[in-house]
Amino acid sequence: MGPLVVYDIISANTNLLLAFIVGIGFGFVLESSGFSSSRTLAGMFYGYDTTVLKVFFTAAIVAMLGLLFFSLFGWIDLNLIYINPTFLWSAIVGGAIMGIGFILGGFCPGTAVCAFSIGKLDALMFIGGLIVGILIFTEGFPLWKGLFYAENMGTPTMDKFFGIPQGLFALLMILVAFGMFYVGDWAEKKFPRDEY
Amino acid sequence: MKSMRVKLAMALIPLGIIIAAVPANTTKQYKLTAVQLLEEIKDGTQFFTPDAVAEMVIQKDPTLQLIDVRSKDEYEKFHLSGAINIPLSDILSPDNEYILDQDVKMNIFYSNGSTKANEAWMVLRQLGYENIYVLQGGMNYWAETIMNPEKPASSSPDDEFAKYDFRKGASSALGGGTLESTSGSVPSAPKPVIKKRPKKKRAAGGC
Repeated sequence: MGPLVVYDIISANTNLLLAFIVGIGFGFVLESSGFSSSRTLAGMFYGYDTTVLKVFFTAAIVAMLGLLFFSLFGWIDLNLIYINPTFLWSAIVGGAIMGIGFILGGFCPGTAVCAFSIGKLDALMFIGGLIVGILIFTEGFPLWKGLFYAENMGTPTMDKFFGIPQGLFALLMILVAFGMFYVGDWAEKKFPRDEY
Repeated sequence: MKSMRVKLAMALIPLGIIIAAVPANTTKQYKLTAVQLLEEIKDGTQFFTPDAVAEMVIQKDPTLQLIDVRSKDEYEKFHLSGAINIPLSDILSPDNEYILDQDVKMNIFYSNGSTKANEAWMVLRQLGYENIYVLQGGMNYWAETIMNPEKPASSSPDDEFAKYDFRKGASSALGGGTLESTSGSVPSAPKPVIKKRPKKKRAAGGC
């Protein structure tokens, strides 16, 4: 039956409308989890606040279970779900740049907009930097085109990479997530900050 | 906060165990609705004329893959040159999936008439397979038009003769009849008109 838009059950425009509603929900949860504070976000790096890890890991395992059960019930065809292709070098270099920006600026692109929407000026600065970055990337694209497209691995997934069933990988992932929550707690105790 | 996490664990870990225990759902869902399939049948986009196929065989078109959907016995008695045999009853076998579900070659099914080939096409097309076609009229029509072409009446228009010449040529190239030209040059058959079907897009997403 799903994905709804692929099967023409809903139109692309309805899809956008649904995305808009889901997006509002996403922004709301981000804001209420404290993601509009650059200190919370940077805390992930320094270890004094691991909210980011907890929220995103929870979201990931819930979504993963949801998709797997939907697939089990025949509600969605997982073969038609878009998987972002892996360009290995892009992922490494881009990840490093994003990580540095994350620590320096205290936001990721989504949370910057989230924080700006409640009026944070540092978020506005961050969005300015983001636009400058986009300009540099697009204008200078010929320079890094080779790196950008290098080592295209297609769409590998972890379960296929390790050769284990999807469901088993999901269970391991859930256990890892809960393990990480306790690692997060430990880090928060180990690297506490009185006020942030 | 702590009790929340315990609750979450109590909900998610059992679900994870269930999903790890059940086999993954690998059922192929029909990708085309009945209405879409009917539209394609009405348009007859799946058919390739014998002339178009003959031309591709002669040109040794590397993208052509003729697939004989008749039984193994019938295939062994006689089959078109270069054809492989996948009996109709075996078209869903996983062993054949890599041949049938791909987007490089043009798979053209044929049987004695069009019926069996068309049945194979319908089943696979509903699964969303691309690049599958049917030889129009099957082997019977192939024999009539390519192997034993009928000389057009002398009052026929030129292109009838052109077609006849091509068929004579094809017939001799494919082992049968003798080549005698009714005009100077052997014209090529009309290019097959393949209606492009819009490719299904995957749902896109991102952060």
